[in-house]
Amino acid sequence: MLSLLIFIPLIGSLGVVLLPASMKSRYKWITLICCSLELLLCGAAYSAFDPTQSGYQLLERADWITLPLGSLGVVSIDYLVGVDGISLPLVLLSGVVMLVGAVSSWKIDARQKAYHALYLLLTSTVIGCFVALDFFLFFLFFEFMLLPMYFLIGLWGGPRREYASIKFFLYTLAGSVLILLVMIGLYLSVMDPVETALRVGLIQDRSEATDEVIRQVQFLLSEYKIPSNLLVHTFDLRHMAKGGNYLPDSFLSVAGEVMLMGIPSRLLAFLCVFLGFAVKLPVVPLHTWLPDAHVEAPTPVSVVLAGVLLKIGGYGFLRIGWGLFPDGAAEYALLLAGLGVLSIVYGGFNALAQVDLKKMIAYSSVSHMGFVLLGIASLTSEGINGAVYQMASHGVLSAMLFLITGVIYDRTHDRRIDHYRGLAGAMPGYTALTAIAFFASLGLPGFSGFIGELFTLMGSFQSIWLPGWMTAVATLGIILAAAYFLWTLQRMFFGTLWFRPEAAGQLTDLDGRERLMLVPLAVLALLLGIFPNLLFDLTNSTVADWIQRFSIE
Amino acid sequence: MLPIILLSVFGIVLLFLGFLKTRAVLLPAALLFILIALGAGFLEWNKSYLYFGDMLLINNLAILFSTIVLISAFMVVALSGDFLEDEMAQPAEYYAILLFSIVGAMMMIGYENLIMLFVGVEILSVSMYILTGSDKRNLRSNEAALKYFLMGSFATGFMLFGMALLYGAVGSFTLTDIKSYILLSHGRPSLLLYMGELLVLIGMLFKVSAAPFHFWTPDVYEGAPTLFTAFMSTVVKTAGFAALLQLLSVSFSAIYGFWWVILAAITALTLLAGNLTAVYQNSFKRMMAYSSISHAGYLLIGLAALGQQSRSALVFYSLAYSLATISAFGILLLVAKQHTTDGRPDESYSAFNGLSRNNPLLAFVLAVSMLSLAGIPLTAGFWGKFMLFSAAVDRGMVWILILAVLMSAVGIYYYFRVVIAMYFREGQAGRIRVAPFYQFILIAATALTIILGIVPGLFQNIM
Amino acid sequence: MQPTQAPIQIPEVIQLIDLKYYLIISTALFVIGIIGVLTRRNAIIIFMSIELMLNSVNLLLIAFSSYRSDPTGQVFVFFIMAVAAAEVAVGLAIIVMIYRNTRSIDVGLLNKLKW
Repeated sequence: MLSLLIFIPLIGSLGVVLLPASMKSRYKWITLICCSLELLLCGAAYSAFDPTQSGYQLLERADWITLPLGSLGVVSIDYLVGVDGISLPLVLLSGVVMLVGAVSSWKIDARQKAYHALYLLLTSTVIGCFVALDFFLFFLFFEFMLLPMYFLIGLWGGPRREYASIKFFLYTLAGSVLILLVMIGLYLSVMDPVETALRVGLIQDRSEATDEVIRQVQFLLSEYKIPSNLLVHTFDLRHMAKGGNYLPDSFLSVAGEVMLMGIPSRLLAFLCVFLGFAVKLPVVPLHTWLPDAHVEAPTPVSVVLAGVLLKIGGYGFLRIGWGLFPDGAAEYALLLAGLGVLSIVYGGFNALAQVDLKKMIAYSSVSHMGFVLLGIASLTSEGINGAVYQMASHGVLSAMLFLITGVIYDRTHDRRIDHYRGLAGAMPGYTALTAIAFFASLGLPGFSGFIGELFTLMGSFQSIWLPGWMTAVATLGIILAAAYFLWTLQRMFFGTLWFRPEAAGQLTDLDGRERLMLVPLAVLALLLGIFPNLLFDLTNSTVADWIQRFSIE
Repeated sequence: MLPIILLSVFGIVLLFLGFLKTRAVLLPAALLFILIALGAGFLEWNKSYLYFGDMLLINNLAILFSTIVLISAFMVVALSGDFLEDEMAQPAEYYAILLFSIVGAMMMIGYENLIMLFVGVEILSVSMYILTGSDKRNLRSNEAALKYFLMGSFATGFMLFGMALLYGAVGSFTLTDIKSYILLSHGRPSLLLYMGELLVLIGMLFKVSAAPFHFWTPDVYEGAPTLFTAFMSTVVKTAGFAALLQLLSVSFSAIYGFWWVILAAITALTLLAGNLTAVYQNSFKRMMAYSSISHAGYLLIGLAALGQQSRSALVFYSLAYSLATISAFGILLLVAKQHTTDGRPDESYSAFNGLSRNNPLLAFVLAVSMLSLAGIPLTAGFWGKFMLFSAAVDRGMVWILILAVLMSAVGIYYYFRVVIAMYFREGQAGRIRVAPFYQFILIAATALTIILGIVPGLFQNIM
Repeated sequence: MQPTQAPIQIPEVIQLIDLKYYLIISTALFVIGIIGVLTRRNAIIIFMSIELMLNSVNLLLIAFSSYRSDPTGQVFVFFIMAVAAAEVAVGLAIIVMIYRNTRSIDVGLLNKLKW
């Protein structure tokens, strides 16, 4: 089922490429159908998922690449997908946001073929990133997401699109090469106990691999009893998360005795992973690509960028930084939380200073994603649940906010906040939905934003790793959010109607398509705000299991 | 050994074919000859023989490197259709010299005796001097030929002096004798040996254009006719690295502790010089020259971290690099013909503006080869880098690795400039007419790059 | 070293001088060649300097070869001479080609490409 999620858009993308240009009007329908199918499949995955279990579910596996490494044994790369309580909410979110983005792409006229092919490719890589359980596969999707995004911004963007797209590309790529470094170190340090048992001859078939056998292999490994040419190195994240599978004396062994520049190599690897994903999240001071990319990107691309792509930073950090290097997460909890708080406050102040509506929302994203980092750094059950919740909530809300910007931009090609006043008179429906989105984003109780921020703050307050004042500073972010959202609302929508003369006659209220995109998102935000257990039920058992394992280690 | 003899004979046959009235027969003949040599090479697969009085060793590694050289040569010859139309050109001589130079490259790949290495290097180099200057009335080509010739002979001088010193220390030119001398010297070989090794290394590093011996490369690559630049940057590099690998792994692996630091420093310098200078280029061709320097840096990682993995990594990387480089030059050849400024082809980035609009296939081929050179996953170039980096981690050379990874991020910047030009800029590039066979070669190279990127195991299983 | 052998061989003559002097003189010749390449502007003179480097190698090889009574070094010298002749042929052809085009063989005047 998860493979279908990856391959349907991929096939759709190929279909768009192969269809002759005379079928131009069909391209957007293909995109829409593919994205609708995605959402349906996401729903099916949701119903097939058993939230009481903590492990990975809906696993699908196929052998992909086996490379001999000479005296080092072999390395196996698998096609391995599956979800747990942390990735499933984000898969669902991607399903929703990609569909909304597809509807929002309706008005794209230029180079439709390329656009829709790239959009579907992007969908496929985004979903792939969330469901991949093999580090290599994850990295592949992570890198490959950049290319469609790069072209989507660079070809359909605003006037400074070349600069924005290459900046986006280089920033993220610089981050991903750090992840590549860690990936190489990891696969050389980790073995696959099942495959190794097969090669050593302990078992004859994969199905015989019981826990007993695995423990035996791990014991043999720790006693240096397995010759190195029989080892099977792996990229499987499940094996990487278990300390017993690390080769003793290897570069990233769990004992952590290898030092680099006076820092244990494991901590250095953790920092590399953190930096890699921090670019994507984004964390101040690595955030500068985000406002540029958002301002230049066309509306649907902004929606996807803010709604889904930023979450991959948070998700990757949870899955890889936190899942594979819990020691590093504990060591640097304070640093991480500090950066999170810095993002919250810095993003908030910057948002306050913007005159461009889209840039304001971009900075509010920086601020809101800071809460995610704070929650993760707290290393508590509330904090991490809250972080996942905040990601889902921000995904919905930021998609909505960028759509709202798109609505006004489509009409007047002008996004400056001070060029409008009293829009409530001309566009009442638009104003109502904008107000909902703003209030939900600033953390009004009853909407999803409130729950996410509340839980991350609770987590950071309870955390034994973080001082109390940090939480206090972070709450400043909520006040700032209230300030910039309400101020914008007041400046643009209230008062007597005024706009620049060029915009005359263009300020019509929402049409059916726009309502179709915005209303479900608003309902979703409300639903998540009133029934937070919809998501917490999914995440809780996985997070509890992680926390338990973490406290043991 | 058979391919060496065959190619020598074929080269002479081609010269005679040049007397025929119809030039059209030359290109298919040259391609056929290369294919025959390729097939003949595989007759010796899985057999390890010494030839010519123990001076030449043909084993699987040598056959693989020769195959890469032959594939590169095949592609270059296949892209050379223009010569048949150009009145000034002498295609028979060019093809013959190309075949002779492959003989030199094969001798460099399989040598077991330093004399053979010298003769191979010289056959290859002298051929390249001629081809570089083959555009006789073009001053830039003249200048490039002279520079290449002077710098190449200079480097040969160093290499020879080093060989003489090695001979003074060991009393023999064979690689295995050098190895046994080192092993028998109880860790205290004569000073002559160290000096000799260093000088031979310097000579060879000149040939593969590693920094700080790289300064001739951009000029020569820019001045030479594009087709021969493609040949130079792939065949000479592959053969040079095969020769270095042979020298270091057979003879000098016992004194690894002595030379790895030097090589690591040169690697770092090459990576920095190649990548950072490439950023500032405005000519695509010159950028490709610096890119070839930077790829020499990546390949040097495999030598500095000499180990089990480096052989297969070097072979794979050379193949990926050759495929991508030749297709890139193939596109440049087509595009540059469209615009001429001051009577010579326009090889700057702006020549590529708007290529994707009317020539989507050419743009795609060039984009894939740029991605492969930049090392983006799902291309062969990624796996080449991946294997080399793994070898470095295995040796614990984390510093080099970090530098290499950062430099590959820099690389993306300049490789993507041409992608930007092709896809994002507006240009008045009309539809470019491409011969079907030319097109086929480009598509085949691109397909191979992608296939090797998706299933690299395919290649590894052959090793 | 082999005084018992009757006919006077060239190696004996060579061996009248200590090996290190051969090493020193050929190194000196080699360095002179390098300096010539790096400092002179005339293509022909640069070329001659390179030939000087090659010949210093020949001298060194012959010295080593006779001191070891091993012929391979001298065989190599023949290879070097043959190959150097081929190089001369190509090199002079290139220089002639440039002279025809520019009426000069000063490498300083070759600046079409950034040096």
